[in-house]
Amino acid sequence: MVNNSEGSAGQAAYMNVPDRTVTVEEAYDDLARRSLSRISGDLARLIYLASTRDYNTGQYRHDGLAARFRAEIACNALELAHRQIFYRIAACSLEELVREVELYVSASQQGREEILRVWQKLEPYRVALPVNVNVALAQLFVSNIKLALAIVQGRQKQRAMGASAS
Amino acid sequence: MMEFASVIAGAVLLLLLTAALKGWLASRQLGPWPAASEEDTTEPCPEEFFTRVFTRADWEFVRGLKAGGVERLFERERKKVALAWVRQTAALIRKVISEHARAARQSENLEFSTEINIFAQFLMLMAVCGILSVAVQIAGPLWLGGLAHFAQTLSQRLTKLQESFQAGVPAQTGEAGSA
Repeated sequence: MVNNSEGSAGQAAYMNVPDRTVTVEEAYDDLARRSLSRISGDLARLIYLASTRDYNTGQYRHDGLAARFRAEIACNALELAHRQIFYRIAACSLEELVREVELYVSASQQGREEILRVWQKLEPYRVALPVNVNVALAQLFVSNIKLALAIVQGRQKQRAMGASAS
Repeated sequence: MMEFASVIAGAVLLLLLTAALKGWLASRQLGPWPAASEEDTTEPCPEEFFTRVFTRADWEFVRGLKAGGVERLFERERKKVALAWVRQTAALIRKVISEHARAARQSENLEFSTEINIFAQFLMLMAVCGILSVAVQIAGPLWLGGLAHFAQTLSQRLTKLQESFQAGVPAQTGEAGSA
C-alpha cells in the first residue's frame, strides 16, 4: 500500500481538519483536481488508486486528502474514484485499451520490455479490481488487459525487428 | 404420422431438458474470483459490457493486426469471458427462483397460472444458458449476440416478475395477519 501525502502543505493541513460537514463529492473533486489530473492515462490512474487501498483491510488511505477532509470521507472518495475509473476502462474498446497500455508503459520510468514482461508474468492488474465488482466484468477487464499487453508486446517486437533489419 | 410427431416432440423436449440441466450445472461453477461475494457474483452484468463480449468490434480490430497468436488468444479469452457471463446469468436465475420458492411458501393465495409462467420462463432460461454454454465452447461468442441478448431480456423479465411477486407477499401476509 502507498501512503500518499502531498508534502508540507498536506502535513500542515493535517493539524487543521475542517469542522464543517464535507461531502464525498467535495473530496472526490479535490482528489481529481490535485492528484488524478497530474497522472496521464486512466490505466495509470487506476493503478494509482488501487495502490491507495490497504491489502489487509480493503480501506483506502490518502494522507493529504484525509488532512483536508476526514479519513472516512477520503476513503469513500478514493473508492468512488477507483470504481468510476475502473468502469471507464472496462468500457473501453480493445483498441482504446491498447492505447492506454502504450501510454502507461511509455510514461513509466522502467524499460518498456521489463514492464511488459512483469505485467504478463505477475498480472499485477488483478489487484486493480474494485471490491465486489461484477464477476463477468472483472473477467472482461483482466482478459482485455491480457490481450492489450500481447498486442503491445507484438508491436514492440515488430519495431525491434524493423530496427535490426535496417 | 402422429407417432412420428410424438417422437420428434419427445426428442426436442429431451434436448431442452438436457440444455437446461447443462445451464444449471454451469451455474454451479462460478469463476475463481475472490473479489466478489456470492451475492455480488449474482448481480447482473451491465448490458453495455456484456454486449461487447458478443459483438465483433474488438474482433475486427484484432483481425486487422494480422497476428495469428493474438487472434488465437482473443478467441480463447472471449470464450472464457462469455462462459463466465453465462454461468453468472444462470446463477442469478437460480438465486431468483430459490427466492421465489421461499416467498411462495409464505404466500397464502398462489396463482397457478403465475407459478406455471415463472417456472416455464425459468426452464426456458436454463435451456438457453445450456445452449449458450455449449455453443460458446464450440463456436465462440461472436455469433451468439442475439441469443445472449434474449437470455439477458428473459432474465430481467423473470427478476422483475419475482420482485413484483415478492412485493405482494408481505402485503398478503400482513393482510392475513390483521384479519
